[in-house]
Amino acid sequence: MPDQERLRGALERSFVVVRAYNEAQVLGPVIDDLHRAFPNIVLVNDGSTDATAEIARSLPVHLVTHLVNLGAGAAMQTGLTYALNCGADYIVTFDADGQHRVDDAVALLYELASGKCDVVYGSRFLGRPSIGMPATRRCILKAAAWFSRVTTHARLTDAHNGLRGFTRKAAAALEISQTGMAYASEITSQLVRHGMTIGEIPVEIVYTDYSLAKGQSSLNSVNILLDLVIGRLLK
Amino acid sequence: MTIKFILLATLASFFVYILLLPRKSMLRKGFVLAFVLVMVAFVLNPEWSSAIAARVGVGRGVDLLFYLSHLALFFIAFVYYLKFKDVELRFTRLVQQLALEGARSSQNRGDSH
Repeated sequence: MPDQERLRGALERSFVVVRAYNEAQVLGPVIDDLHRAFPNIVLVNDGSTDATAEIARSLPVHLVTHLVNLGAGAAMQTGLTYALNCGADYIVTFDADGQHRVDDAVALLYELASGKCDVVYGSRFLGRPSIGMPATRRCILKAAAWFSRVTTHARLTDAHNGLRGFTRKAAAALEISQTGMAYASEITSQLVRHGMTIGEIPVEIVYTDYSLAKGQSSLNSVNILLDLVIGRLLK
Repeated sequence: MTIKFILLATLASFFVYILLLPRKSMLRKGFVLAFVLVMVAFVLNPEWSSAIAARVGVGRGVDLLFYLSHLALFFIAFVYYLKFKDVELRFTRLVQQLALEGARSSQNRGDSH
């Protein structure tokens, strides 16, 4: 089937960027799972202080290590730059805590490879409901998506999903300066400014106790908003 | 009167210290000199600050200095915040560069294909 061949070709030319900060507990299975579909994985160890570094060394990945913890946005930029240097045509970002499904990442790549858009975001709010999403999280994500829509004029239902796909052109246009979680809104506005088309596909997020404990506290959304406002004022 | 001596001595030593700093432009040193002279004038003639305060609609000269020093501190905090943000970004780029350079050597080991 030509579709299958196109997908295989896209997989060969794609890199998955996984950022890990103290994810020793779950990293191994997540990478192994990913590696069944994706041949090229870039693991950015963002200055972890647990056994992440040791575990990462035994995994089938390109390992990039931040000597100190910089934050999600900085790790993302490092991973993108590395993948671009390796000649990646497509780059998919995937969270290390096991909240994404590999099938969704493949579907996202397929959408990207179809050439309809430069960037594809995974959305929790299209199609199937996510598993175990707390009500507060739902409200904050909806508010964050609204904030992104208003500030960037991109029609997105979920701009803060860790599962995203970029073409080479789109990834090269990014220059993330928000080191922390505020990067999510920053990249959307940069993509819009560079005239990139952003598509969305429905993905499922598996909210486990681990990912909820490890992930963002809802209160942190206030800090993220503050980072963004200050970042915008200083532009 | 003792307080005047303390204030004047502090201002004088501050001024000498700034003058001796290398690599500061003459313009900056000029600003510092002007600032110190104004402060010395206020120390010697406290009633001047009250006169100015009355002009701008503040009750006492002390209150005027209180407001102005708050503004100055806020300004200084903001300038340092900007500097901190700049240093943070440089630091981030440095660590990222080191990470990318270090990664090249581990590429073959990591890539099992």
